[in-house]
Amino acid sequence: MSLTRREALQLGIGATAIGGLAGCRPAVRYVVGDGLPESFAAPKTPNSPAMRLLNRAGFGPRPGDLDAVEQLGIEGWIAQQLIAEEDEPIDLSLAMSQLDVYRIDSKELEDLPMANVIGQLQRAQLLQAVYSRNQLRERMVDFWSNHFNIYAKKPDAAFRLGRDEWNVVRVNALGSFPDMLRASSKSPAMLGYLDNQLNRKGAANENYARELLELHALGVEGGYSQKDVQEVARCFSGWMIENRFLKPAGKLRFEPDQHDDGAKVVLGQTIAAGGGEKDVAAVLEILVEHPSTARFLAKKLTMYFLGERSSSIERSISETYMESKGSIPAMLRPILLSQEFLNGKPIVKRPFDFVVSALRATDADVTGKYNLNDSLRKMGQPSHEWPMPDGYPIDTDAWTGSLLARWNYAIALTSGGLGDAKPRLDAVREKFKGSDADFLTTIFFGASSSEGALAEVTPLIEEALKAKGENRLAEAASLCLSAPQFQWR
Amino acid sequence: MSDQQACESYRDAMSRRPALDRRSFLLAGSMGLVGWLATPKTALAQMALRPEGERDSDALVVIFLRGGMDGLNAVAPYAEEEYYRLRPTLALGRPNDRTKAQSDRVIDLDGFFGLHSALQPLAPLFEKGELAIVHAVGSGDQTRSHFEAMSAMERGLSGGTAGSVGGWLARYLQATAREGDTPMRAVSLTSTTPDSLLGATHAINLYNVSEYRLEGEQRFRMQLAEMYGSGEDAISIAGRDTISVLKKLDRLDPMGYNPTGGANYPDSELGQGLKQTAMLLKNGVGLEVACLDRGGWDTHVTQGAGTGWLASQLDDVGRSMAAFAMDMGAGMKRVTVIAMTEFGRRAYENTGLGTDHGRGSCLFAMGGGVVGGKVHAKWPGLKENQLEGPGDLAVTTDYRDVLGEALLKRCRIREIGNVFNGYAPSSHGVFRA
Repeated sequence: MSLTRREALQLGIGATAIGGLAGCRPAVRYVVGDGLPESFAAPKTPNSPAMRLLNRAGFGPRPGDLDAVEQLGIEGWIAQQLIAEEDEPIDLSLAMSQLDVYRIDSKELEDLPMANVIGQLQRAQLLQAVYSRNQLRERMVDFWSNHFNIYAKKPDAAFRLGRDEWNVVRVNALGSFPDMLRASSKSPAMLGYLDNQLNRKGAANENYARELLELHALGVEGGYSQKDVQEVARCFSGWMIENRFLKPAGKLRFEPDQHDDGAKVVLGQTIAAGGGEKDVAAVLEILVEHPSTARFLAKKLTMYFLGERSSSIERSISETYMESKGSIPAMLRPILLSQEFLNGKPIVKRPFDFVVSALRATDADVTGKYNLNDSLRKMGQPSHEWPMPDGYPIDTDAWTGSLLARWNYAIALTSGGLGDAKPRLDAVREKFKGSDADFLTTIFFGASSSEGALAEVTPLIEEALKAKGENRLAEAASLCLSAPQFQWR
Repeated sequence: MSDQQACESYRDAMSRRPALDRRSFLLAGSMGLVGWLATPKTALAQMALRPEGERDSDALVVIFLRGGMDGLNAVAPYAEEEYYRLRPTLALGRPNDRTKAQSDRVIDLDGFFGLHSALQPLAPLFEKGELAIVHAVGSGDQTRSHFEAMSAMERGLSGGTAGSVGGWLARYLQATAREGDTPMRAVSLTSTTPDSLLGATHAINLYNVSEYRLEGEQRFRMQLAEMYGSGEDAISIAGRDTISVLKKLDRLDPMGYNPTGGANYPDSELGQGLKQTAMLLKNGVGLEVACLDRGGWDTHVTQGAGTGWLASQLDDVGRSMAAFAMDMGAGMKRVTVIAMTEFGRRAYENTGLGTDHGRGSCLFAMGGGVVGGKVHAKWPGLKENQLEGPGDLAVTTDYRDVLGEALLKRCRIREIGNVFNGYAPSSHGVFRA
């Protein structure tokens, strides 16, 4: 049962309509002729900037991606990715259309076991990162879903998270930050996670207000006080999550009687009494226009993409934020086009980066079981399972303890021990012009096997390739995935 | 041929391969693939074991209670009238208040403070003098942000995180490093490495000892040793540590570990983490610092009094710590356990019958060297003019005084130096030298 993307589009079949066909497809993979290049070879120049770009702005290259960047040029590729309108592989669209979490309202999702719902959310994030052609958007989904982190195992959160991920994070990942912040402030998943349903007139609950100021907008050094937290909490009082009989359960509801309608002063600006449900918009207006928000996002984006502070880039981003009224693509340009981005020190792959880049490099087929998330759990980074609202850490030291789990993953993946992910090394090898060793170092490191940085790895690869038997390529590949060089991006 | 010999001969064989081109390797270091520099240094030389004998200093077990533990209900100042005024619903009954169920009454400690009934397993340890409590303890952090407050504490700061400094335990380990130290000087039995160990090279994140196994064949380990043999970047160093820890754990049998003394660990992450800590300590792998986490203290709503959310949290802490003490037995003479939290909670309850972020909380110190059976506190009081900010228990003891005293009197350090970024802790008599 194969249907190319073009055929599907000509037939005018929407993704949901063909969802029914998907049962015949055991795996998500590229449509034949669309996924693998006709042929590819080792990069001619050492330290390929295309490799760095694909590793940092995306989740690492699939076979042939390095050549595609060469053709478009670095700036051309970035421009294309900032627009993020590349067609997705049809198998990915099919797989997504089968998931309940993006389609069904939280109330009906509650009929499913929570573990199933969390599994779907994790699978959705993983498959899109692996297969999407809009790699920069997926990179930003990783960034924003940690920025607006919600713990899936808090009661009710899992059932509301799919809508949050779609309406807050995905839609705005390369759009406008103010829009994303406003969407988050209306997200039942977020307000439920941070207890706003308990935030009532005369009985404030500060949890959401505090994290809104500290983690979502101004940053902890953003110049707000405990008093500001309390005032923002008053603005959000009365926003509940619907749970009355025969009402649309799980939706946000404004309860005027529970709203503190007096005047508030937030960051020195007065919000007049009687604002009712409009208080929220007034607060958000103050936050999105505040220079601290610009500085905070500038710092966070710089740390995420460069792994270290840079006052000149941060200044440039925060000025861009103020001028463009929070356009995310505009803020990204100063980083992605900087010399530091292509030449700075490497940053460690978090476990999610590691797993996704391994699946991309090997052009793996992935089916719908959940073992991959077990692997991520062993490495300490299952999606949506960080309990605190600050998101998974980005510093190298937080992840040095995950090496053993990565090595075991490398062995399991390449030896077929993960039943739900099958690397296609032999198929990819057929397209490669060059030696086995060059093939492996090209797909995993974006380099030829003679590259100086691989001096300690290449002899081991060659040794493994000398062995007899059909597993020699797989064993050598497990070494590549385990190597220190593959842990950086 | 032993493992060791096999490894050596494999290394020899590998060293006969064509010489590495150091120069191109170093030149490549500025871009793309590599950012780490290689210096010729044998990593495996670091795997030499120090003979295990009598400990000459305490192993330090640090339990971080994440989320802000409500110190006023964990160890309640039941003799303060104000306590009952501030917490009409949540306050725990006095020890002899017969109108209340036993679970809603505190266990008297000293006529002023009482232990939450869920912490009952710790009461005998307090009586025997093996458990000390420090109250109204905390940092200078004024943000009341979990992350700021935790980050400040784990970095050994008063507040803020100015300057990118590593963790206080990392600096302690660094200050006391000596020849032949094992890579298992510090372990974190947590899902990710905690900030207190930030920058500690010989610290390993274990999570679960029995799952700490390398798949694949024996030669895979040797290949890894080769690939991770010389890099000075954080990942290469961590790789070498991981390999040496694997070697050490080869001779342990975590699944078959039987706690002694009738210890019965709860099936919780903390209980199982402490059980594994006890196993590592008893097996003499060179462990000096263990870090564990217990989250779930952010009791903004319906935290309960004698029973409920907070009580179930405390129950786990009490039973886990008591089981650990029992299991370690005489070994507790050279162990100090500290259970600490980033801040306490507001003195008055909120209308959601929970408590919001506050300042001072309490801390538990357990071991052979504590001045136990005592609540160490410069009690600030709970009257309106005694509370801080929006209504919080004031901090009268700097948490660094307690940690510093433990390090100086019980652990391997002579001078506190830079462990707390220049702060010189004062002693409050919580530990014996």
